[in-house]
Amino acid sequence: MSHQPNPQSPRPIRTLLIANRGEIALRVMRTAARMGIHTVAIHTDLDLDAPHVHAADDATAVASYLDVDAVVAAAKAAGADAVHPGYGFLSERAALARALEAAGITLVGPSAEVMDAMGRKDAAREVALAAGVPVVPRGEPTDPTAYPVLVKAAAGGGGKGMRIVRDPADLEEARAAAAREARSAFGDDTLLVERYVERGRHLEVQVIGDAHGTVLHLGERDCSAQRRHQKVLEEAPAPRLDEETRARLRQAGVDLAAHVGYTGAGTVEFLLDEATGEFYFLEMNTRLQVEHPVTEAVTGLDLVELQLRVAEGEPLPLAQADVRFDGHAIEARVYAEDAFGGFLPQAGTATHVVWPDDLVRVDHALADGQVVSTAYDPMLGKVIAHGADREAARQLLVEALDHTAVTGLTTNAGFLRALVDSAEFRDAAVDTAWLDRHEVPRPDDAAARALAGIALQRALDEEPRGPWQPDGFRLGGVRGPLIEHGHDLSFHGWCAPPAGTAGLQRVGSFQHGDGWVLRGRHATEVVWHGQRFVLAEDDAAHRGAAVADGIVLAPMPGTVLEVSVAVGDEVAEGQALGMMEAMKMELTLRAPFAGTVASLDAVVGTQVPLGTPLFHVEPEGQEGAP
Amino acid sequence: MTDDARPDLRALTEELRERLATARLGGSQAARDKHTARGKLLVRDRVDRLLDPGSPFLEIAGLAAYGMYGAPGEEHAVPAAGVVAGIGRVSGRECVVVANDATVKGGTYYPVTVKKHLRAQTIALENNLPCLYLVDSGGAFLPMQEEVFPDREHFGRIFFHQAQMSSRGIPQVAAVMGSCTAGGAYVPAMSDESVIVRNQGTIFLGGPPLVKAATGEVVTAEELGGGEVHARTSGVVDHLAEDDAHALAILRGIAETFPSTPATPWEVRPVEEPAEDPETLYDVVPTDPRTPYDVREVIRRVVDGSRFSEFKQLYGETLVCAFAHVWGHPVGIIANNGVLFSESALKGAHFVELCNQRGIPLVFLQNISGFMVGREYENRGIARDGAKLVTAVACSVVPKLTVVIGGSFGAGNYGMAGRAYDPRFLWMWPNARISVMGGEQAASVLATVRRDNLEARGEEWPAEAEEAFKAPIREQYDEQGSAYYSTARLWDDGIIDPVDTRRVLGMALAATAHAPIPAPSYGVFRM
Repeated sequence: MSHQPNPQSPRPIRTLLIANRGEIALRVMRTAARMGIHTVAIHTDLDLDAPHVHAADDATAVASYLDVDAVVAAAKAAGADAVHPGYGFLSERAALARALEAAGITLVGPSAEVMDAMGRKDAAREVALAAGVPVVPRGEPTDPTAYPVLVKAAAGGGGKGMRIVRDPADLEEARAAAAREARSAFGDDTLLVERYVERGRHLEVQVIGDAHGTVLHLGERDCSAQRRHQKVLEEAPAPRLDEETRARLRQAGVDLAAHVGYTGAGTVEFLLDEATGEFYFLEMNTRLQVEHPVTEAVTGLDLVELQLRVAEGEPLPLAQADVRFDGHAIEARVYAEDAFGGFLPQAGTATHVVWPDDLVRVDHALADGQVVSTAYDPMLGKVIAHGADREAARQLLVEALDHTAVTGLTTNAGFLRALVDSAEFRDAAVDTAWLDRHEVPRPDDAAARALAGIALQRALDEEPRGPWQPDGFRLGGVRGPLIEHGHDLSFHGWCAPPAGTAGLQRVGSFQHGDGWVLRGRHATEVVWHGQRFVLAEDDAAHRGAAVADGIVLAPMPGTVLEVSVAVGDEVAEGQALGMMEAMKMELTLRAPFAGTVASLDAVVGTQVPLGTPLFHVEPEGQEGAP
Repeated sequence: MTDDARPDLRALTEELRERLATARLGGSQAARDKHTARGKLLVRDRVDRLLDPGSPFLEIAGLAAYGMYGAPGEEHAVPAAGVVAGIGRVSGRECVVVANDATVKGGTYYPVTVKKHLRAQTIALENNLPCLYLVDSGGAFLPMQEEVFPDREHFGRIFFHQAQMSSRGIPQVAAVMGSCTAGGAYVPAMSDESVIVRNQGTIFLGGPPLVKAATGEVVTAEELGGGEVHARTSGVVDHLAEDDAHALAILRGIAETFPSTPATPWEVRPVEEPAEDPETLYDVVPTDPRTPYDVREVIRRVVDGSRFSEFKQLYGETLVCAFAHVWGHPVGIIANNGVLFSESALKGAHFVELCNQRGIPLVFLQNISGFMVGREYENRGIARDGAKLVTAVACSVVPKLTVVIGGSFGAGNYGMAGRAYDPRFLWMWPNARISVMGGEQAASVLATVRRDNLEARGEEWPAEAEEAFKAPIREQYDEQGSAYYSTARLWDDGIIDPVDTRRVLGMALAATAHAPIPAPSYGVFRM
């Protein structure tokens, strides 16, 4: 395969604008650079110093990554031959495809017509039916036994605007919420209702088509490890799938893509009913997927390169029989979220970042000192392990996550590590709702305390010698405990001398293995098995006082979406007072106890920082009390 | 006790460790369980959490009240006198910590508790150390009020000290982590700043039972003087903590605002380990206290590099006077190497003057049976020479540190900076003995007096009768001369493992260095 821009191509790409940010922008630029293509980044003011801006040959400011006109104007100004939209943002907007076409610029993706046909779930379903691909039974059930059903945005994806309804009485409320989310996320509140499979596996077929009528599949992926419809782990190939079903599934993906004359890389998603073994078409994503690296790992192909070749008008350089599958790959998505604290999104400065890129492939755009804001997707990076078989890949991924460390903000790496290490994932017994039914146990902080203790001991050992040297001296042949920030960090047993002199230290102990420790004046941060622990003075006491006060604080920075009460209203314990939106999640703010709304500082539409007092509820029978 | 049965220093140290370990437990298991069930930290956990990470803690009188009110472990025992005291580092500053142990008699003040509290404050006063009080006490132990309340060195002196310390600019902060009743209420009230734990700490002059008895008012402890009351209404405290850990974190934050440690009055050199391992001290000191040994063997195992330069090495050889360094701090060591003669006393007085002239702290290593007696010595005026040493020691302005490494008998105790001579610290080794004279000598003196009386009346005194007379005297002296009898009564600041002598001296020297040295009141008189 040639890696130079092909002047023989009908539409050679010499300059490529990447209409995206973060790891996917970097990932596209890597391939483009290897192919000798000049790369142009776009960025908002917030992203002026973001890694993707530094990685590109040129960069242009835009007001928003979602602004079609601005993106097209930037592409024109940069003299781009083509635009790669990545995933998310404008990647599935037919409007972009049309605007680029009008400007004579190639979109790395399918045509506007195909996007129109496949981008709307209701239309896609009709296409699937026509292509002979099985679909989920649809329609608002009249019979209560047909529940549960799924309410979802027709234009959506990624779990936004989705609601499961088990009781017919809840249908209307679910519709309203889903419509609101859909409107906010996609600007379109058309909804669908269909049968909900309780125990299902999410399987998807990677397809790629060229302008010469060839459609190939590059195997399937299993993305069943999901939380609230957001993929957590993805792997290729699908485990526990008989070869006959696997073949049918792959063929169904090819059939659908071929039926619409699909060009470029796309993904056909299916739901496999664990009870029946039947699979149903869910939707087609007309773009590169977040999880495409697992397919690249097992096929050895560069999907972005294939996308660019196809966009240049070249025929695919291989036939179906040339697609080989080697071993097994698993990807873990590292998010800025507190998985053991209600999965609340996290923001802040990633003071130190360690990725296991010496062990496995890591696609990320997060370096030391980078600010993670709530403005964009909270995904920080992807850790992709490839092994000879699934168990080898799984064990490598555990090791890789053990060597993933971010300080300054909490990530879900510890949660991912625990999940990948679990017997259920080992046995591929995780269905799409498993994480919504089960709690992954929070890692014990004993290891974190021991590792923090080793780092503390080292710091103490480096203090000047003198009669008051910090060696815990006590009369009577004993030693004092090792306590810092209110935590007993005494440790026993063998430990390796910590590595790194300042800032983040890698610390190992015989019992706990390796971890990372960042000592600060007011807290020690430890990352062990991917999980971040902050050893600081316990402020639970203060939080307790806040609840007792009846003051409801903003649990995270975000926008006040709804205020449901007025001053003087009587409220029941747990009653919704209002709603906040942050990081595209809606959070209901509830009364801590029954009482009266004494004051109200929440104003719809305002942006509020973390901890802002929003409502004040006075307990029952205490009105007028000081 | 026969010589063969006499335990060696290693065994005595092991016994010391066991006794300290028992005392460290505090109250009974039941009392401790009850304490922690309320969400309160045990007193030593409080101290450990208050101190900086890894901070040493130089505990004061860990065996106070030992055996005074009951045998250790017995119901009436008052381990550590119900209060933990010592010096530790808090937010980078050496501070005196005084913490009541509510698991011991509700943290009430026995006579010795008062004495220990006052001793800790005296250490803070003399050495300019900030003082932190962790209060959890029911106040005076009422059944013994006559030994606790009225006298000069009784309960009231605690607050006298607080006022005196405050006037000298010594920071004092109290955390009320339990009861703080009656006079005890003045501990937080007279501190610079105070903290109380919500729903746990209470401060009042009269508790609910007394209020009811006095006025008939029925009130809960929390309403009378709980955290909310004092933090929001009365203003008696300045900070409201949610629990013990929170209160200690607040204390640590307050300590950060204390003035930083002043420069030492003397130059501190880089530390050098002794060339002779201090662990070998156990083998240097003979099991029989009557067996002489060269005290230089002890000095070598205490001082930096095992190096010291002797003053008047060839004169008054029963007193070794030497300049050396301990953990880099300069010291003038005065160590007994036999009975004090006139020459030894003169040499000692001269050396004390030198150290005052040069601003060098004094370390006394006491192992003294007394001044030489007999016609020759009395006729040559040994009392006058002893007086010179006693005067020089009494009026010394440099810090004095005393370690009783053997006997401490008679006027030797005075000349060697015994408790009455205000050494900044005084410790005993577990083999140490202290009394006006040896038990055998006391028995003989008293027996001689009695025999003279009997013989004057023409009566006979058979040998068996004399032995029966002498035995209880020997027994009394034996008991009262022990290091444990001494330490129980705060005649010293604690019994230490001989191997820890170097470390303890170093910590104490660094502590004494917080206070400036006044100008000496005498020059150097050649003796």
